[in-house]
Amino acid sequence: MSPPNATTTTLRPKDLAAVRDAVLDTPGKIAISGAGTAGGWAGTLRPVDAVLDTTALTGIVAHNPGDMTVSVLAGTPMRALTAELAEHRQHVSFDAARVADGATVGGLVATADAGPAALVFGSLRDLVIGTTVVLADGTVARSGGHVIKNVAGYDLAKLLHGSYGALAVLVEVVLRLHPVPQRAATVVVPCPLAEAAELAARLLGSQLEPAAVEWVSGEPGTLLVRVEGTAEAVPARVERLRELLGAAAELDEWDSRRNLSNESPTRRDGDPWDRHAALVRGTPDDAVLRIGVRPSRLPRVLDALPARGVAAGLGTGVATVSLPADPAAVTQAHAAVAAAGGTSVLRARPAGLDAPAWGPAPSAVAVLRAVKTAHDPDRRLGPGRFDPWMDQQ
Amino acid sequence: MTLSDTVLRAFGQALSPADVISDPVRCRAYECDGLTGYRVVPELVLLPRDAGQVAAAVRVCAEHRVPYVARGAGTGLSGGALPVADGVVISLSRLKRVLDVDPVDRRAVLEPGVTNLEITAAAAPHGLYYAPDPSSQQVCTIGGNVAENSGGAHCLKYGFTTNHVLALEVVLPDGSVVTLGGDTAEQAGPDLRGVFVGSEGTLGITTKITVRLLRAPETVRTLLADFPSVSTAGDVVSDIVAAGIVPAAVEMMDTLAIEAAEEAVHAGYTLGVPAALIVELDGPVEESESQFEQVKAICDRHGCTRLHIAGSAEERAAIWRGRKAAFAAVGRISPDYFVQDGVVPRTRLAEVLDRIAGMGDEAGLRVANVFHAGDGNLHPLVLYSSAAGETERAERLSSEIAELCVELGGSLSGEHGIGTDKACSMPKMFGRDDLEVMGRVRAAFDPDGLCNPGKVLPTPRLCGERPGKYRAHPLEEAGVIERL
Repeated sequence: MSPPNATTTTLRPKDLAAVRDAVLDTPGKIAISGAGTAGGWAGTLRPVDAVLDTTALTGIVAHNPGDMTVSVLAGTPMRALTAELAEHRQHVSFDAARVADGATVGGLVATADAGPAALVFGSLRDLVIGTTVVLADGTVARSGGHVIKNVAGYDLAKLLHGSYGALAVLVEVVLRLHPVPQRAATVVVPCPLAEAAELAARLLGSQLEPAAVEWVSGEPGTLLVRVEGTAEAVPARVERLRELLGAAAELDEWDSRRNLSNESPTRRDGDPWDRHAALVRGTPDDAVLRIGVRPSRLPRVLDALPARGVAAGLGTGVATVSLPADPAAVTQAHAAVAAAGGTSVLRARPAGLDAPAWGPAPSAVAVLRAVKTAHDPDRRLGPGRFDPWMDQQ
Repeated sequence: MTLSDTVLRAFGQALSPADVISDPVRCRAYECDGLTGYRVVPELVLLPRDAGQVAAAVRVCAEHRVPYVARGAGTGLSGGALPVADGVVISLSRLKRVLDVDPVDRRAVLEPGVTNLEITAAAAPHGLYYAPDPSSQQVCTIGGNVAENSGGAHCLKYGFTTNHVLALEVVLPDGSVVTLGGDTAEQAGPDLRGVFVGSEGTLGITTKITVRLLRAPETVRTLLADFPSVSTAGDVVSDIVAAGIVPAAVEMMDTLAIEAAEEAVHAGYTLGVPAALIVELDGPVEESESQFEQVKAICDRHGCTRLHIAGSAEERAAIWRGRKAAFAAVGRISPDYFVQDGVVPRTRLAEVLDRIAGMGDEAGLRVANVFHAGDGNLHPLVLYSSAAGETERAERLSSEIAELCVELGGSLSGEHGIGTDKACSMPKMFGRDDLEVMGRVRAAFDPDGLCNPGKVLPTPRLCGERPGKYRAHPLEEAGVIERL
């Protein structure tokens, strides 16, 4: 989030009516903020007159465990929701790194974030089944509903996914839930990226159904493969995994998440997934770029980047890369990803770094602009987030 | 004929004149989709041969303000492909090439006229398959699946079309061609792909679809279990879910549906039982074996009267043949029928079935039930005889059932779409502002309102002005939502 200027007001509504009133009563440009774990992602926010802080919009609105759906206010931290659902042995099958930092459900949707579990469960666009939003003109609109199977009307929740606060204020989100697996285990293989990619291809060509397949950079780097399932089945599946991955594959002893049904898994130093999360966050000195390219092209694209750290989903094609905080390096990285047919967006970077947040505009940019106009004709919300595409007329 | 010669000539230039059908007799073949109660003969039917011709045809429509309706196999059950008077039908039936199957990145690129089952057939040599499996999968096309966000029996575990589409090439209503989505789930901005899927042909015409393919599971275990009542079968489903099991499919049929299906395909269902469940588990052998034992124990605990485990691929196929043939099979026990598609939260299944039975009795009509029990998606089949003058009564009962689903916290439609059929029921589910914002999104794609007009959103012309007094939304009454 860019530093608010001296006249910026902060609004902190507690419910839907207060959000609507805040939007209606506040003239000028408005930025929407959550827990602040991704405030600097995507395009740099231009000056705003007010910040709409969603962190008082918290709590579960409705949860009927038998239906495996939950409705929450958008400012609810995902980790708080996880804790509440744990007693029912249910969870949102979603594990973006910043969940542990307190990221809100709304913020995670707005930034289209996702973690390793996306290999099987997709991102929040696959898990959100309904939304309530407030538009820039105060209109309250719902879409979707409280049932997982529903094709009535347009699925407006999809538009909020990846909207970075520039379309509408997310107030309520209905999510589909899954049972918490009884057991999880991670098999690690120390290896460089090229070898990891070969192993991943072999694994994804098998019927072992891994829950996550990620590579983290290092010397030489590590392939992480997670399996999830019943307590009876997971040990045998781990053995088959190790056979397939070769002699170097080992069951990781430090995996904090191996007993997922335990309500408060003990954090342990040396957990390989902690290293994965740290690489996804990046360090304050780096420019963190999120990229997606066809899985088979990912290693070649990553090899060509001046990366200081990489966490790469070898099945999803989605990787998070730490680059030197240099505008030219970022520009070249966008170009390399685009040349491979992929998509990229700049995440955290040192304040003031004048680097492009986005790659080339998508072919449907005219539709994006029309959708923006339909929701926010005066361009009040999230100014600058999609620079340079969105606000050109 | 209301289209001018200029327009006709323009279509003839955009396509080949031979691919423009104007003979009313031939146009009549396109007058309806799978919902045969609504019929409109289009002015013209266009049969483009490639994406370029689709775009050219749409540009003619845009220039001359001609409304158009895209059409795949015409199997839709909500009148989504119903032609508009004075408009044209753009049939995608000739765009049916499988453009690419990539076993390494596990995806396929298809033209819209490829059938759902052809995708799996093309992927199968690589050990892959396409997961969404609507019952009409032998004939319905991927373009239509995208328009309707089709589901199927296995979407409880594997999701719907939207969860499997990576990218779409789309001809927008201004005739421009764009790509929505991309090679991965990473997005450059809001998920336009996601809003397009399930928009029922109202935001554009898709001409190329990239879908994810899944590795075929190591094992598939399927059982057919009979129960003394629909509610005990419902309890079994609840217990399976409570045990943390996500079956690949859980389907339920009641006496009438079983009777119809058995008569049609002789799948080995038990005649006369109140309820039968099909439960399917798949996955790595260790997982599905242990969970299958749990499911069998749950069935026994609830007084299962017969448990038939498919012992071979043929037996499994027979069980599914019965289920998937159920709609058509109802034609054997009733001259006419309506299919509904409402959804309720699964925990209200027993309640909704009870009320549907009561409503059927009151209307003096039989209702057969076939449904996706795992996700609460009902398919009540209202049986009637138009010859006996029961049509109007049956239609009313059918609409009331869909609206009952909304009242119980569910949805008007789980997979068949709103189309023409349920557009006027949309205000039961959504408020005025909700619908108005959907209208804004539609206009962002299609400012001139030419692309499949009259579908999905209610219009005064279609539904009549219904001022009436304000009625609280059921969720509002339950305190789940508030109206400001």
